[in-house]
Formats: sequence, structure tokens, C-alpha cells
Amino acid sequence: MYEHLDELEAESIYIFREAFNKFDHLAMLYSVGKDSTVMAHLVRKAFFGKIPFPLVHVDTTYKYPEMIAFRDRMVKEWAAELVVGRNEEAIAAGMGPEQGRMRCCEKLKSEGLAQLIEQHDFKGLFLGIRRDEEGSRAKERVFSPRDKNSEWAYKDQPPELWDQYNTSFSADTHVRIHPILGWTEINIWEYIAREKIEICPLYFAAEGKRFRSLGCMPCTGPIASTASTLEEIIAELRVIKDPERAGRAQDQESDYAMQKLRAKGYM
Amino acid sequence: MNLSDSLKIVIVGHVDHGKSTLIGRLLFDTGSIPEKRYQEVADTCRRQGRPFEFAYLMDALEEEREQNVTIDTTQTFFQTSKRPYVIIDAPGHKEFLKNMITGAACADAAILLLDGIEGVREQTRRHAYVLSLLGIRQVIVAVNKLDMVDFCREVFQQAENEIRAFLHTLDIVPTYVVPISARSGENIAAAQGGTVWYNGPSILSALDTFENLRADTRLAFRLPIQDVYKVGTRRIYVGRVATGSVEVGTQVTFLPSGRATKVKSIERWPQGGAQVAGAGESIGLTFDEEIFVERGEVLAPSNDLPIVTEEIKAGVFWLGKRPLQKGETYTLKLATAEGSAVCVDIEERLDSSTLEVIERHAAELHGSESGTVIFALKKAIAADLYLENGPLGRFVIEDNFLIGGGGTVRDLTAAEGSQKAQVIRLDDHFATEPDGNMIDLTRSRGSIEFVVTGRFGDRLAAGERVLFKLRGPKQIEPVALLAYEHNFCFTFSREEDFIALVLFSTAKPATQTAAADIAI
Repeated sequence: MYEHLDELEAESIYIFREAFNKFDHLAMLYSVGKDSTVMAHLVRKAFFGKIPFPLVHVDTTYKYPEMIAFRDRMVKEWAAELVVGRNEEAIAAGMGPEQGRMRCCEKLKSEGLAQLIEQHDFKGLFLGIRRDEEGSRAKERVFSPRDKNSEWAYKDQPPELWDQYNTSFSADTHVRIHPILGWTEINIWEYIAREKIEICPLYFAAEGKRFRSLGCMPCTGPIASTASTLEEIIAELRVIKDPERAGRAQDQESDYAMQKLRAKGYM
Repeated sequence: MNLSDSLKIVIVGHVDHGKSTLIGRLLFDTGSIPEKRYQEVADTCRRQGRPFEFAYLMDALEEEREQNVTIDTTQTFFQTSKRPYVIIDAPGHKEFLKNMITGAACADAAILLLDGIEGVREQTRRHAYVLSLLGIRQVIVAVNKLDMVDFCREVFQQAENEIRAFLHTLDIVPTYVVPISARSGENIAAAQGGTVWYNGPSILSALDTFENLRADTRLAFRLPIQDVYKVGTRRIYVGRVATGSVEVGTQVTFLPSGRATKVKSIERWPQGGAQVAGAGESIGLTFDEEIFVERGEVLAPSNDLPIVTEEIKAGVFWLGKRPLQKGETYTLKLATAEGSAVCVDIEERLDSSTLEVIERHAAELHGSESGTVIFALKKAIAADLYLENGPLGRFVIEDNFLIGGGGTVRDLTAAEGSQKAQVIRLDDHFATEPDGNMIDLTRSRGSIEFVVTGRFGDRLAAGERVLFKLRGPKQIEPVALLAYEHNFCFTFSREEDFIALVLFSTAKPATQTAAADIAI
């Protein structure tokens, strides 16, 4: 039977293949989290075991050591190319969350990413954002054009009809491609369980705590949980009262924090 | 795991008739909103000194909340005991019609929301028209804000009559008309005592009766080729099955190239080896022989092909900033095919609110307008009529890099030489048809030619009749031509999914011996 997860998978594969056909300089943002690890699996499904474009990781230097170890191991296992980008100038100047969380995100993540795009002349970038994560992401298109400053014209997005996407762009823009936009957090975990995908160990509970969303150490907190298996995590998510990104401090900075960050090129 | 087919629903209606509130209520009543998120909205509302706004759960952008209007389409999720739902919130304001259509295009079903006191308004009509353009047939009309009139039955009935009469003009018959209050929750998940006079289903139970129509395996097999990958020494043709299903060994034809072959294997990663693949699946295929075709070709069963065309007549809705102009060249994308298309005529330009024809043979179609448009393609493509096969019968038009509008194919002219007319020898058919004198053309496409032998005319003259089963009115023409040339008569009637045409003759039998001959 053709089930909801089958449909999500098929749609994501279709999107990867569309982008691969239409764009030359592609890359996939690999944040080491569950969503981008699921994306890597979908890429291998789409291209019969290969990852035919580089994986990009924006390193803020504030990531958990477990994340870096997991990243390096998986990249090797998948025989993928990894490009690590850092905003060295901002890091050298001592940028950190104590100078303002939104400012830190903008410098180390948004700008770090913009620098990478420019250095490598990436024309298309896959991102693992999902509509159910947060309100401004819910409004996204699958193929979302950005100007040369990476800005998102969220008030005037082009139409996207059926499975036809905007795939022609002028030379000074890049496009953000969102292959798992329609997945929910539970879909991701159900799919991880179904496909037996290996996931960063920080997601599983140890000593009564686990991470539900992974990010930088100073701004990401674990939740109280005893869920140490995939089945327990899925059961926990069915009854949990908090939103997924509750442990991400930058989201809580102001009423429209994420919209403002994202308009300027945040993921 | 509790998985089943999901249903995508779009919620449309006039601005301020309560779409975002209804969605907030659906999410709340199905327990789909994390309590923190609810608290967050409650806090924001308190800070801004207004009562709790369900709409804030959907209208996340600052501009949307400040101006109390939905700007862009949102998708969100809830689950009933039956299945998961994706709700598409579509902006009601005219300015944001492109966002509304973006949202509505992928829906299986729609809730058309109507303020019971205000009744049918401009955007109600426009949105209903979009539903008919997109071919959405599973429709619930929700008559809202009845708490404001103490759930007065007469107010509801008046609104119901008005909307039914209007939808009738669009050929839409709403499956349900439900009296609700999105704010108080009446008839959303269940009745709450306000509408004691109503005994139909609530919104949620009505939705549970609808069907997922996105991956239809009952239609003919269509696979638009997305790309060709070289994996090892093999060429794998990849794509997403649009409709129908395919099996290893099926005799298939690529169009427009016309190359025919057999399916050798169905490829997936990490395990291949499946014998069958159905609508909605992203797959790879290999074939018995080396074939070189490109993206844009459509793979179909050799005995049930789409039409190869260089001219498309379509219902077009235009969303671009610049108008669609007669004589201009655009890029037309249909399934995975794309190419240059000249807009040769805008036959009718409609007012999409009143649906009146504003102009015939117009020079331009402006943003938010729709009409009947003819495109001439530089290169032939394979397509179906929208009513027969949705995914192969719809397309987008690109203007200046971006999608400027969409269209649904109403008529196709088969490209010259692309498909030979199907020749039907009437004597043969006539003699071999096991269930009597019946000729079934419901699976035939393209043009048909009849070759008649003398014996056929004699048998009709002897009083026999032949039933032709036709797929549509266009097939009447070749039969009528046959009747004209040979001086036969016919009658026809419209059946549920075909046209029954009976051919007979009123001529006298030529000679006694000839008639006796046939009787043997």
C-alpha cells in the first residue's frame, strides 16, 4: 500500500532529482541533525547510493563534540564530499551569544553560509527545514529564490503550482531548495525507524535528558526525557506539549525572531 | 505505526470570513497544537491587548498579525482517528491570489468558508471559480459566524441557498453544507448545542469521508521521464509515476519520440527487484534494449497513449506581474517537458469574480484574470486532457524566469504525422465481435478512419444494428462522416462514462440473394 511516508519519500526524491537536473553548482547543508541525516538518506535513494554534490557544514565552533565526530564518521561512510565553512573574521573578533543571540546567529550562521555560497559559487542549496518547525518556515516554497545578499522576499514569493517549481533564475541569485518541507517531526522519526537510519546519539536520552533539536552549545538545551529508543521517542512526541524548537534560545529572543533572521538568509 | 493515506485540504473564502480562525480551531480541537505554542499566542495577544486570536496560530508573519490578514499560504498538520491531514491556508485577499492558487493547486478537497451574515462576496466567487478551474470536486461549504445570530436557522438557510445557486453555475455540487461557528467551535469537531436543528456531519466527520486523489492508480499509466542516470554500465530512466501502474514486461512507448520497448526492471535503492510500481512512486526503469530518449518524454502503455500535440487550448489563470500577451513567446512546462510556446490567441478573457466574458480575442490577460488561451508549441509534447488525466493535462507558463500562470488542457490538436489515424475495418470488427455488433472506441485516442466493405452495408440494410461505444463527443464526427458517406442513420445517447451510438440503415436490401448470402 502507498502510505503517507511513501508519498513524502517519493516527493522528496522527485525534488532532489529536479534540482539535480536543473542546477550545476549544488550543495546540501548538512547540520548533523536528524533532518539533514534523513535528507542524506533520501539523496542516496534518489541517486542510487551516491551523494552527487558536496555536503556543507557551517561550523560556528560552538557545536557539540559528539556532533563533529558523528559528522566525520557519516561523511566517510557515505563517501561524500564535505565542505566546512566558518566566518573566521567574526570568530577571530570573538563573536559569541553573549554579544546578542540574534547577532551571533546572523554573524556565525547566516554570514558564514553566505561566504560559503560566494566562495564556491553555489547556485542551489538544499536545506532540511520543515513547515511544522516554526511559523515563517511554514510559509516557504520548495524552490525559494534569494537575491545576491541571500535575502528572502517573503512578502512577494513567486507562485509554485502542482509539482512545477521555479527552476530558472537570473545569474546573481541562488535558490534554496527544501526537499522535506512537508514532513513533520514525527514523520522524520517514523522514517528513521522504518529505514533504520543512524542518528547522532545526542538525540537518545542519557541520565534523564535528551536533545530534541541540535544546535550550538550555548543556545541549545536538552529536554527532560527517558526516551532512549526510536519507539520511545515517537511515543514521547505523540504526547509532548512543547514545540520542537523550545530548547533553541535564539527563537525565543523576540516575537518574530525567526522571521527576521530568515529574511536575512538564516536557514 | 499508524499510517494511512493523508488528505490535503485547502481552506478558501472571502477575506475576514474566518479562514485562519477555522484552522486554528481545527488544530486546537484535534489537539494538534503544542500547549506552549498556544501559550505563546495567548501571551502575544495579551501583550498587544487583544482577545485570543486563533488566527495567530497560522498567521505567523509580523505583517500578517499587524494587518490582521493572511499574506501567504501555509501548510499545517493535524490528525483524526482516521488519517493525517495537511491543511492549506490560502489568503483571501485579492492581492494575494497567486498565493491562494499555489496553496489550492495541490489539494484533494476544499472547505469554502462563508460568513453566514454577509453571504457570498467577491472573493467567495473568485475562490469557488479557482476550485472549479483546478478541478477540485470534494467541497464542503462551511457557513460561519452563526454564533453572532444565535444560530438562527433562517440565516443559515438563506446563505445555503445563495451559495448552492452560485456553485451550480460552476458545476460544483458541494458534498456538505455545514453551519458552524469557528470561534465557539460549533460543528467543528462536534455539535455543541447551538445548531439543534442541524443533523448533518461536523466538519471533521465530513472530511473523513473524502478521498486522497493525488496518486490515482485507476488511470492509464503515465511516467514523465525526469532524467537518465548512468549507474555502472546501465542507463536508468528515472521519474515519478504520475498515474496508473507499470509492471516488468509491459509493452511501453515513449512519446513524442514514438520509441517502443518493454520494461526490463524497476529500480530502487537499496533494493530493486520490484515487479510493479504505482502512481506517486519515484522509481527508475531499465528497458530490454538500449534506448536514447531525453527528459520530457512520457512513457505510456503502447495500447493507451497520450496525444502528441503542437497546439493546446487551455483554461489559463494568470498570476504574473506583467500581463500575458497575445503574440508573445513563453516557456511552457507540462510534466517534465518544457519548451517555447507562443500565445496565439486569448479566445476569452473572464472576470474571475463575476465569471462574465469581458472580451473575446483579447490582446492581454492581466494578473488575477483567467481565460481560454491557445498556445502553439515550437516542439511537440505528449499531453492528455485535464479531465481525463490531471497530471498530464496541466502546465505552467514561465515569464521572465518565474512561473506566471497555470493552465488546464481543454483541447489538443494532434500534431500532424505524429499519430497515424487508427484504421478500423468495419467488416472484420463486425464479424468477430463476440458480444454482438459492438465496436468499443473508449480506449482509442487520436483520429479514427473507417474502411467499409460492401458486406457491411448489406448487413445494415438487412436490419442489423451496430453499437459504437465512444469516449467523448469528438468521436461522433468520424462515425457521422461514415454515416454521411454511406447513407446510414444513427442515434446516440449519453451514458455514465461513454457515449452510445447506434448505427443502422433504412435502405432496402440490395437483392434477395445477397441477403440470403449473409444469413448463412
